[in-house]
Amino acid sequence: MIRHLQLFGTVAGMALLASQPANADTSDMRIAFSNNFAGNTFRQAMIRSFEEVAAQAVADGVIAEARVFNTSENSATEQAQQIQNLVLQGYNAIVLNASSATALNDVIQTACDQGVVVVSFDNTVTADCAWKVGVDFNAMGQLEVDYIAGRLDGGNVLEIRGAAGDPADTAIHSGIADGLARHTNFEVVGTVFGQWTQTVSQREVAGILPGLPQVDAVVTQGGDGFGAAQAFEAAGRDVPIIIMGNRYDELKYWADAKAASGYETMSVSIAPGVSTLAFWVAQQALGGNDLPKDITVPFLTVAQDEVEEVLASTEPGAVANILYTVEDAQAFGQ
Amino acid sequence: MNTRFSIKSTVGSAPWIWSYAAAAVMALVTITFSRASGGLDLLTASMSFATFFALTGVAQLFVITLGPGNIDLSIPANINLSAAVAMQVMGGSDTMVLIGLLAAMAVGSLVGLGNYLLIALLKIPPIIATLASSFVVQSIAIAYAGGYRVQPPPGLKEFVRAKIGPVPLMALAAILITMCLAVLLHKTPFGRGITALGQNPTAARLANIAVERTRALTYALAATIAAFCGVLLAAFSGGSSLEMGNEYLLSSIAVVVIGGTAITGGRSFLSGVWGASFFLFLLITMLNALGASPGLRLMMMGIIICLVVFLASFRNAGIGQAVFAPLLKASRRPR
Repeated sequence: MIRHLQLFGTVAGMALLASQPANADTSDMRIAFSNNFAGNTFRQAMIRSFEEVAAQAVADGVIAEARVFNTSENSATEQAQQIQNLVLQGYNAIVLNASSATALNDVIQTACDQGVVVVSFDNTVTADCAWKVGVDFNAMGQLEVDYIAGRLDGGNVLEIRGAAGDPADTAIHSGIADGLARHTNFEVVGTVFGQWTQTVSQREVAGILPGLPQVDAVVTQGGDGFGAAQAFEAAGRDVPIIIMGNRYDELKYWADAKAASGYETMSVSIAPGVSTLAFWVAQQALGGNDLPKDITVPFLTVAQDEVEEVLASTEPGAVANILYTVEDAQAFGQ
Repeated sequence: MNTRFSIKSTVGSAPWIWSYAAAAVMALVTITFSRASGGLDLLTASMSFATFFALTGVAQLFVITLGPGNIDLSIPANINLSAAVAMQVMGGSDTMVLIGLLAAMAVGSLVGLGNYLLIALLKIPPIIATLASSFVVQSIAIAYAGGYRVQPPPGLKEFVRAKIGPVPLMALAAILITMCLAVLLHKTPFGRGITALGQNPTAARLANIAVERTRALTYALAATIAAFCGVLLAAFSGGSSLEMGNEYLLSSIAVVVIGGTAITGGRSFLSGVWGASFFLFLLITMLNALGASPGLRLMMMGIIICLVVFLASFRNAGIGQAVFAPLLKASRRPR
């Protein structure tokens, strides 16, 4: 059925492609979101974003149903069972944030074989038949270094990493290393692990600061910028350029410091609304739009003149967010 | 502040000394390998952050002293809730600091009493009871605070960052509180009751110690200390957040054990908690300063912690005595 519609799309849709890509009716289709972990603010926002966009899509008659299924533990076995159940329950598409890149591949292949569309995002899977809406964390690290190199001629850099051994941490770190290889007048004078947590970052930075020379910039991974700023303030040092990670605390600090003393920096992270991009990719796939299997999520960056605006639209305690539209998903097909 | 008054402790065995020795080594290595001379700044930072490790550790120590199986896993959730309550009650106003602090400590004492009721009335083992109550308390914190970070009052923020020379005022206050608690634990009937219970509950009961009241008060006291720590932590880190207490679950137990206190209860060293807190902070700082690869840092951390606990363990207390005998003699004299 899907293949048939795809064929229809290719033949009839060419002229319409720009404004109205080849889309069959998906109003009787059901989409499930299998989520491996729900225990932090980022994931909560990810789930809420999905629910909001999905509810609107159901109200608009785009799809029949969309539901979120969380696993209680971040375990591949449990998520594999959940995906099997979702297939048995007759969902046409499964959107998933995976507990493992490889361990779910068999059950995903089985789902694909039964005609189910599988879209993985954030923590993607390697199964060939699944769409992967992934994040280029290496590019994020490079972006940070490029920004600093645009502001300063050179200097000392403090790197705050996340958790040792985490793939995202490794990728951002390698991006920062790649960036520094291009801008050789910067030197990393210290590295700490902040666990993406404000209080931990504050403690780690406060511990290493006494032994450091002047720090001109701090590269981060998100969730750690505000804590770093607190540590510099408590040590009586000037707060250097700290790359922020779109958290409310960080944006608030930045906006306040900007108002008080013209503090300048940038902020970059992934929007938790990436779940909605995965939702639309699934919907498009159901409708027969042949999107590429590998899709890279754009970063949500905040520039100096945008901080007040983004802060105003970010809930206290949350992360700056955007909800993606069907057009955003379709743009990847062009 | 040398608190070696537990009944079972024989004269001279002072396993807590190892945590201070280890902390001193970490500090020396850090300063030696650092590029700039930041010895005093390092002292300031380590005292500030040791305060949080130590206060949570002191809270845990009181519960652990009660005897085998006693532990409080609700400390992180308690910190999260109490800090949120304090910051909201204070509302950024210096005139409300005292009321906010009292409100937080009231919340803490209720959490502690709740823990005790689960353990005593429902006969649930402490490890499960306090774990369960931590879920409830954390849920209340989420519902109550909703992730919203209220700025601490400027006066309170100033206080937690104030220093006399290189010494943070907050740490001095916390050390003073610890000393009072040491007197409470080792010199008062209530405190000796806690230790007696930890050594032998039957004997304690026969000795006419009000077992249930002692247990209830100890859990309440521990949770109140943790709540107090939560307020300081929120003031120090620019407001309360819903996960700021989470890292103090394992560390609160670790500093008790590293400080030479018996995990089975009945033999406690409050001074060791502070030594272990300095040690824990300086250990991470040292590994950061050395700039080792992430895998090596974690491995070194594990090895060094094991080494210190081994040296401080009950059986090996004699080594400590031999090495530090002169030190000990000097430290015993003042009382």
